[in-house]
Amino acid sequence: MKTNDIVDKTYYWIDQTAKEQTLKLARGISRRSFLSRLGAMLAGAATLPLLPVARSFAQDSIEEIGDDQTCEYWRYCALGGALCTCCGGTTTSCPPGAETSPITWVGTCRNPVDDRSYLISYNDCCGKSMCQRCRCHNTERDRPVYYTPNASQILWCFGTEARTYHCTVAVVLGEASGGA
Amino acid sequence: MRVVIISLMCWLTATPLAHAQINPQTIQPNTTMADPGANWFMLVAKPAGYIFDATTGEMQGMVSISGMTPAVQPSMERREFYNASSFYSRGVHGDRTDILSIHDFENLSPIGEIEIPAKIASLNFQSYIGLMSEGKHVAVANISPALSMSIVDIEERVFVGEISTPGCGLILPVDNNDFLTICADGSLMLIDLDDNGREQNRIRAKQFFDVHDDPIFDHPVPTSDGWLLFSHGGKAFDVTVENDQIKVSSAWNLVTEDEAQENWWPGGRQLGTLHKDLGLFYIIMHQGDQYTHHEPGSEIWVFSTHSQRKIATIQLENPVTTIMVTQENEPLLIVSESGGATKVYDALTFKHQRTIEGPSAALFLDL
Repeated sequence: MKTNDIVDKTYYWIDQTAKEQTLKLARGISRRSFLSRLGAMLAGAATLPLLPVARSFAQDSIEEIGDDQTCEYWRYCALGGALCTCCGGTTTSCPPGAETSPITWVGTCRNPVDDRSYLISYNDCCGKSMCQRCRCHNTERDRPVYYTPNASQILWCFGTEARTYHCTVAVVLGEASGGA
Repeated sequence: MRVVIISLMCWLTATPLAHAQINPQTIQPNTTMADPGANWFMLVAKPAGYIFDATTGEMQGMVSISGMTPAVQPSMERREFYNASSFYSRGVHGDRTDILSIHDFENLSPIGEIEIPAKIASLNFQSYIGLMSEGKHVAVANISPALSMSIVDIEERVFVGEISTPGCGLILPVDNNDFLTICADGSLMLIDLDDNGREQNRIRAKQFFDVHDDPIFDHPVPTSDGWLLFSHGGKAFDVTVENDQIKVSSAWNLVTEDEAQENWWPGGRQLGTLHKDLGLFYIIMHQGDQYTHHEPGSEIWVFSTHSQRKIATIQLENPVTTIMVTQENEPLLIVSESGGATKVYDALTFKHQRTIEGPSAALFLDL
């Protein structure tokens, strides 16, 4: 009972404080000014760099050419592993039931359509048996295993419930600054 | 009809007589292993380590390992094999348990296990496991993706503790129960273990390579008094430790300027091997471009570590990914082709002796 009282009082205090601060804000500035500040804040937030994985899924408009079920497909220039496109997934999504690793290794690949270099996030899909299809071993800018962020050989099933490797997706993070 | 009946009777009477001449066989007790002999080696191909006699090509036995075991470490003194294994309670998911598994020489059976942190590195690198010089501690490499080492006391059969090695991976045992590890900043770090396997000191060497320009391969080769490291671009470094000081030699070239012009590069998986007493270093080479460091090789180049010069070239029939020279007086060179075949050559005359049928090797281990 005593604990519940404390929790209730805390919630009440948060509510009251929020209410008071909102009223204070409303009294201090006009509605138009408030909206303009809110708008500026939202616009500012949109320009902030997002997390790499979140940012990658926003990149859908890039023009590409080639067969994404072959190791020669441009996004796979530094991919070591099985292609998820051959295993029920896509270049940006894991196959059914596999868990996407949030921690990745990153490559830089040149898109033949626009001849620009892009940062590619290679996210492993985990928690299922290894997909024994479309195995690739591309090593562009690959580094030894003691330099983990650029080591394509390492199984990147980290931060997932099960760390067994299934396949790999290749997500475009954005254009690489300075080219390749 | 009469002829048929007579023939049938003859056959019926003759058949039991034929069987009566053979004594029925019974299952015999299992054979046990002899201690590893000359030119014995282990071919590691998950999930097993196959033991062969390279002189005869005969398989001698097998050590079972897990699908995530990176390498196998023998102790000749204790007559045991060690491997870090990882298991999920439901095959590929469920609770994960990592252990250091111990097999005996005699029966190649599991005789003990020690639970270790569930984050062993699982790629096939021999330097993901190391037996310390005093023969009492085994180090196992972890990646989570933070890099660390688990230390196990194999005498007491207990996990000692975990040592954090940020930015540094691989285990290169040296004297005094210590080990070196290669760091991404282009240096080496010496981890000094006490008698109980706990870290008592760590020393960092000066930077001697650039991981972006020309990284050191993640397949270091043990020498009689230290380690031989070599880079993607073909620079070799001799590394020793004296009085807790890491000594790195100046670089010597595996590839001349002319050969570099012809685009010769080292490449493969377990691509370098050294005969310690003879000072012969073998390395797989191919013609390619930068970033082809895992490409199978069309030649093996042989260097004298005494003169630091190339003394022979072995032209290969098929591309090769993994090599190992045995440490006998008359050594053999064990070679894994990219197609999967294992071939045995005389390591001094380079004559092909035999082909061993078996799985494609991830690693070779001299026994």
